[in-house]
Amino acid sequence: MAEKLEDLNLPLTVVSRIVKEALPEGVSLSKEGRTGLAKAASVFVLYITSAATNIVKNSKRKALTGQDVIDAMADIEFDRFVEPLKETLEQYKLQASAKKSASSKKKDDGEDVEIIEEE
Amino acid sequence: MSNKPEKDLHLPLSRVKTIMKSSPEVDAVGPEPLYLVTKCTELFVMDLARRSFINSHNSLDYKHIADVVQEDDTLDFLREIIPRKITVREYKELMARKSTKANPDDSSETSSDEESEENSDSNQEDNQEEQES
Repeated sequence: MAEKLEDLNLPLTVVSRIVKEALPEGVSLSKEGRTGLAKAASVFVLYITSAATNIVKNSKRKALTGQDVIDAMADIEFDRFVEPLKETLEQYKLQASAKKSASSKKKDDGEDVEIIEEE
Repeated sequence: MSNKPEKDLHLPLSRVKTIMKSSPEVDAVGPEPLYLVTKCTELFVMDLARRSFINSHNSLDYKHIADVVQEDDTLDFLREIIPRKITVREYKELMARKSTKANPDDSSETSSDEESEENSDSNQEDNQEEQES
């Protein structure tokens, strides 16, 4: 749960790094521009969360899935994100199952299992 | 690059999870939807930055982002978060125009259309005023 209000903001340094990757080299990002993008990103998280939970509710399920997030993109007219996210989901599933089989082989090695066990 | 899926992301999963859970409709967030929401938010930041950059020359500033937000209807959800800034002079002119409009003696007849526009204007002003300082 969010204990402080700042917990609902995304770290500015990380946001700058993402922006720098997206833009040609040498472009500067103003302080206000950076805070604006970070705020936009936080609100975007809530926006997709609510679009995705709507899908879950309408189909009378309980748990949110990765596919719901992708379907939510189409619902909020961000269709351009659907294809890249499908790829992300496939990669994620591959990596998650690879990890699962690796960790079941050596059960004592608890190093790699954190993301699977996380609820 | 390692094989760990979380290494492909920049934004911290834990923080994104906190934001998602701040929504009253959400109680548990599994790792798969969390990963996708995080990835998606990164795509969104990159997309918004690139589109805002088209109108900026070499320095991306708040106003370039606000312009994109106001012009694209799919970004409607950001309009109150990232309003366009106006100058104090523009703000005063806006208020002056509004007070003459509000006075029924000065304006002969305002259609209901105009009135509703005025209302949405005044909502935005509150935000814009906060941005001014």
